[in-house]
Amino acid sequence: MSREIYAYKCRKCGHLHYPYRMVCRNCGENEHNEFDQVPLPKRGKLLTWTRAYSLPADFEVPSLGLGIVELENGIRITGQLRVDDPKIGMDVRGEVEIVRREGYDERYGMIFYEA
Amino acid sequence: MRPVYVIGIGITSFTRLEYPLSEIAAYPAMMAMKDAGWKEIDHLYVANMGSGRVNHQTGLASAVVDTLSLTPAGAEVIENGPASGASAIKTGLMAVASGLHDVVMVTGAERMREVNNLEATEFIATLTHPLAEYIYGVTLPSLAAMFTRLYMEKYGVTERHLAMVAVKNQNNALLNEFAHLQQEISIEGILDSPEAMTNNPYVAEPLRFFDCCPVSDGGACVILASEEVARKVERPLVRLAGVGQATDTHAVHEREEPTDLLAVRRAAAKSFGMAGLTPSDVDVAELHDAFTILEIVESEEVGFFPKGEGEGHLALERGETAVGGKLPINPSGGLKGRGHPVGATGVAQAHEIVHQLRGEAGERQVNDAKVGFTCNFGGFGNNVVCLTFVREN
Ligand SMILES: [Zn+2]
Repeated sequence: MSREIYAYKCRKCGHLHYPYRMVCRNCGENEHNEFDQVPLPKRGKLLTWTRAYSLPADFEVPSLGLGIVELENGIRITGQLRVDDPKIGMDVRGEVEIVRREGYDERYGMIFYEA
Repeated sequence: MRPVYVIGIGITSFTRLEYPLSEIAAYPAMMAMKDAGWKEIDHLYVANMGSGRVNHQTGLASAVVDTLSLTPAGAEVIENGPASGASAIKTGLMAVASGLHDVVMVTGAERMREVNNLEATEFIATLTHPLAEYIYGVTLPSLAAMFTRLYMEKYGVTERHLAMVAVKNQNNALLNEFAHLQQEISIEGILDSPEAMTNNPYVAEPLRFFDCCPVSDGGACVILASEEVARKVERPLVRLAGVGQATDTHAVHEREEPTDLLAVRRAAAKSFGMAGLTPSDVDVAELHDAFTILEIVESEEVGFFPKGEGEGHLALERGETAVGGKLPINPSGGLKGRGHPVGATGVAQAHEIVHQLRGEAGERQVNDAKVGFTCNFGGFGNNVVCLTFVREN
């Protein structure tokens, strides 16, 4: 089963949101759940990135790549980055994978690789 | 609205403190009452972010008001992340300005060294968006790092500029007996020498250890009062002339222009507007340099230097933001040098400004300071409170 991460499209004005919010940021007219879920595209350009070394204790790795990606539909997303030599503007592709384990909880999110 | 004055101030050392959180809040409050020569307090606001999570204590204001034997005065905690301090001062101003109270005490306190540095970073990371940021391992240093990389690319800010902020503020802290870091540093030591990369490793590229504020315990207090009370108290008259607050998207990636800190720009404009002043009137400022980049960017967003050309780092290069420069920023050492006990920081910024406007800041005194300004930055810029102070007599 392929997992998806969704953007939320306002049924009143069509504005796309990621992440979810309860009231449309653009028109402010919709009520709770008046959004259509739209799967996020997986390809985009790397807007900015970091390699972080001081990590929360449940990350058992010495460092973690993180980035903000502008996806093909213009929506931006923060995700993990597994690229050896990241460059601003490079093409990346995302996969929805486990990004964090908290006890027995597995959290899924977007991990980006070189396209 | 009635005018509101600061009649008393107090502060603890910012470091590792061995006494309980309620006493970290109460000690500066006692100093502030002594400073004012005034003990009748109508209401207490305690600024704190982590008591429940870090110190396993809730209802902190009830503990503090009793520790100070100020019962039955009203008391509550104001929590607004790292901007809790200025938020509590804003709330205190509303109480006095409205006429509800005549004298309000605002004390900020945090005891973060109860946990280790990683747990403290994790605690602060709970400010981030739970689903869109936190689950990825995003922390405040990593958000600041991604922002810094863009700022460098767009405006030509370099690691050297960041190091210049660190050196300026950490060396300012040497003249502040309450500051956490009491170690002189140089560009040579943290950037240029062969040992620099060992002394100053990356925390989140391109930010290094010396670009980040330390994790501190500490408390600070200001007492706000009506004009009638302020004129009875024999202290220099410092008026809290402006408050401004603005918010921005929770997730940083949603901001239209990712190198803008719109909440800073808007909060500052509101604060200056209420005071009837402009950024060029300011003589001394305390900006929220939790990361070195923030001092540069805030100095532009609040209106001290033009943003379009990225003038903040050029003013820094010219020494304009040093004590003795045209517009000294963070003479106290800032968060970088004084330390950052999150809930206390906004109150500590106000403490320094009042100290400066009274002309009592000793070796770090800014000459002839009449107007002071603070910027207290919550989350990664999603909730910002700015204060403007004026010396009246
Ligand atoms: Zn809409």
